[in-house]
Amino acid sequence: MPRRVLSLVSGRISVAILLAIALLAVFGPLLAPQDPLATSPDTLAGPSGGHWLGTDYLGRDVFSRLLDGSRISVVGSLEVALMALVVGAIPGILSVYLGRAFEWFTLRLADTLVALPFLLFAVAVTALLGNGITQAMFVTGALVSPLFYRVARSATLAVARSQYVEAALISGASLGWVVRRHVWVKVLPPIAVALAQTIGVGFVIVSSLTFLGIGVQPPAPTWGGLLASDLGYLSYQPWAPFAPALLIMATVWACNLLADAIRDVSGEAGRALANTRRAAANQKANQTAAGGRA
Amino acid sequence: MAARPVLVTRARRGLGRVLVTLARSVGIFIPVFFVATFVTFALRAMSGLSPARLQLGEDATPEAIHNIESQWGLDRPFLVQYWHWFTDVLHGQFGVSWVNGADISTLIGLGLGVSLSVAVIALVLGAVLGLGLGTVAALRRGTWVDRAITGFATVISVMPPFVVGIVLVEVFAVGLDLLPSGGYIPPENGIGPWLAHVILPALALSFDVVADVARQLRTGLVSAYRENYVLGALVRGLSPRRIFFRHVLRNGMGPALATIGIKFPSLVGASVVTEWIFGLQGFGRFANDSAQAGDVPAVQGVLVVSVVMVVTFNLLINIVLGRVTPASQRGV
Amino acid sequence: MTTLTESPTTTTADPVLSVHDVRIRSQVDDREIVKGVSFELTPGKVVGIVGESGSGKTLTCRAVLGILPPHFEVSAGAIHVAGEDITALTPARLTAMRGSTISAVFQDPASYLNPSIQVGAQIAEVIRVKKGLKRRAARQRAIELLTAVHLRDPELVYGQYTYELSGGMLQRVLIAAAIAADPQVLIADEATTALDVTVQAEILDLLADLRDNAGLALVVVSHDLAVVAQLCDEVLVMREGEVVEQGPTDRVLYQPEHEYTRLLISEHEQYGLEKFLSREGR
Repeated sequence: MPRRVLSLVSGRISVAILLAIALLAVFGPLLAPQDPLATSPDTLAGPSGGHWLGTDYLGRDVFSRLLDGSRISVVGSLEVALMALVVGAIPGILSVYLGRAFEWFTLRLADTLVALPFLLFAVAVTALLGNGITQAMFVTGALVSPLFYRVARSATLAVARSQYVEAALISGASLGWVVRRHVWVKVLPPIAVALAQTIGVGFVIVSSLTFLGIGVQPPAPTWGGLLASDLGYLSYQPWAPFAPALLIMATVWACNLLADAIRDVSGEAGRALANTRRAAANQKANQTAAGGRA
Repeated sequence: MAARPVLVTRARRGLGRVLVTLARSVGIFIPVFFVATFVTFALRAMSGLSPARLQLGEDATPEAIHNIESQWGLDRPFLVQYWHWFTDVLHGQFGVSWVNGADISTLIGLGLGVSLSVAVIALVLGAVLGLGLGTVAALRRGTWVDRAITGFATVISVMPPFVVGIVLVEVFAVGLDLLPSGGYIPPENGIGPWLAHVILPALALSFDVVADVARQLRTGLVSAYRENYVLGALVRGLSPRRIFFRHVLRNGMGPALATIGIKFPSLVGASVVTEWIFGLQGFGRFANDSAQAGDVPAVQGVLVVSVVMVVTFNLLINIVLGRVTPASQRGV
Repeated sequence: MTTLTESPTTTTADPVLSVHDVRIRSQVDDREIVKGVSFELTPGKVVGIVGESGSGKTLTCRAVLGILPPHFEVSAGAIHVAGEDITALTPARLTAMRGSTISAVFQDPASYLNPSIQVGAQIAEVIRVKKGLKRRAARQRAIELLTAVHLRDPELVYGQYTYELSGGMLQRVLIAAAIAADPQVLIADEATTALDVTVQAEILDLLADLRDNAGLALVVVSHDLAVVAQLCDEVLVMREGEVVEQGPTDRVLYQPEHEYTRLLISEHEQYGLEKFLSREGR
């Protein structure tokens, strides 16, 4: 499947952007040319050779803060997604096997989490529980988990009730083979789509929380926090929000693009796409052959 | 002769359908409400916060802490506390603030007008723009118009409300100096000023709704066009325009309407951010401030109110859905 | 009921539908799916098309209605409905012609009616649009039509939705909607497939009724030879896009020339067909 995703232009673009962001998260803090926390009297300076993106209201180098802050922002969203995967997928799979009471309870819980005003709960609960990055990831992960719960549950249901799995087992296929051959291809694409989506969503939430100063202690730089500090000085530095906003948007966009690309190459939609392309190609070939017959 | 009884039966059947939808929706939302309030209430126990710490500081004696906690009834069994709190909530009582002893219902009431103004305008903007764009994209599917709208929806869908908010402040308040960058004026003091103050935060919140509604409507309409009933209507000789407005739009709108219902919670939730950017004293701001101060009953109150708003709104959406696409409501 | 053995009257009337050597091509794989179909239909007559699924019968019908699915086109031949070449008509003229000159009903009637609109209102809509009747008059006429297709309690059915009706009832509603604007030709594409045997017989009776009373010309498409035998004056047997046999029903049934037709008939010996044949023989 990765090869088919990469055969799409959108797939290549999204993977390229996400790779770039990942490199930024790994090496960003090391590449920062200056100490992101060091203040200087040169406040709110414009871009220059010394400060590529200028300085903020305390005279700190914005470019260094951007690079240094990338790790928390990216790792935070990954943690949210993984947390959601664990918190959502496990009860989702178990809900098919552990009896009606468990099923009913987890379904209602998923309903509830979906209906909650997301950011409000994330902010309130994180702040009440101690305002740390761990609390923030845990709370946000739990709030996004219904997506994985549903995906995992429906995939498990499909497999548990499917006759071809039963038929394969009866005809002597090993359990491992069945899982690899049948279960995996059914379960993996929706999980991958959900994961890509969740990383995007998690990224928005982590940025929103850090924007409000929740989940991180103030001096530590984050992309959201950078935007928040720019807000007060818009009349002096109207261009300042551009870089962090662009990074946030590019990341979210790449995640969505990747989710769409995975969806496009798996299942029914992939086939329709191929048909349309082939029809268009044939049409063109015929027209040139017939010399433009109406 | 049979006209009147038939009319009566039809009216009764129509009403019956609405009641069935309503009952079904309530059946879904009652557990949601219970679980949400329980989780909300459990926050205090999970946070380990106590009014004694807020009032007495870090170095209070255990006796003093115990005294205050028993004043607040915090030494009773958890479920007893929950039951007391829950019955109070049903009466609209959220208790008093740990920080200043003010009545929380009153405090929330003060902010509710601001938040509701913004949320409603955002919803209207989101629905109108989203439905418009989605319709145009579906009707011109495959053309540059469709691609432009889809592209636009993609761009605005990846802009979180706080980014949109900053851009809007930058363009309309700082750059063009057309609209105020913050603050609130109630509608009683003039609709114009009120709108001027809520339109930017509402716009910031609506982008997400616009993008999602437009995309859902486009998908819904395109897939509705593939349905056999469109072929049926075509064969009966109905014009493409009529087929679109009477048949396709009605069925294709279901997912988009449902999306509005699904988006409403995130719209209410994102008020935390927009109220911060635009300096509005709404309940999102109240929740944020209270949470940072550790004022647990105030936070619980806001969360319960927000859940009630979401549940009420979704009930309304379900009733509308039941009217627009009766078949889709079966077995939900 | 009129007897079916009556020899075909010499056709003095102009054909309402004439299909001449129609070929349909798929643009996806550039394959010819229908390889030359021809027939003519005069008022009050019934043409049947038989063949297994994928033989091109449905595509032929959809070509006649001007509603071929995407990536399919009529590559050769001519289709005339009431004297007009439908391949040359503007979309607006085609729209005007559908419903009031030619109409159709299909298999799985529930899916061809809008699930969100009362079924009666969908019939009334056709009447309002095609015949220009006012709301109240259209409603009245729609209820008359529901009565005409032998639905019990038409007033009640009028206000019901598709999911509240059975398959047989829905097919009657679909027929009522199809004939609401008094077309001259009705195409019934597998209209009785997937219905109970008794319901199937009732629907066939209804179609025969409409032919006799309204002078409707019918194109009956089915994979079931018995259905075709019961109604049709002329039969086309199709297989893989080709018409392997074509002629008057009696001739095709009693002296089949093509192997495939014989196969179809022998498969039916035990079922509905033998009943028909014995009745014919009497």
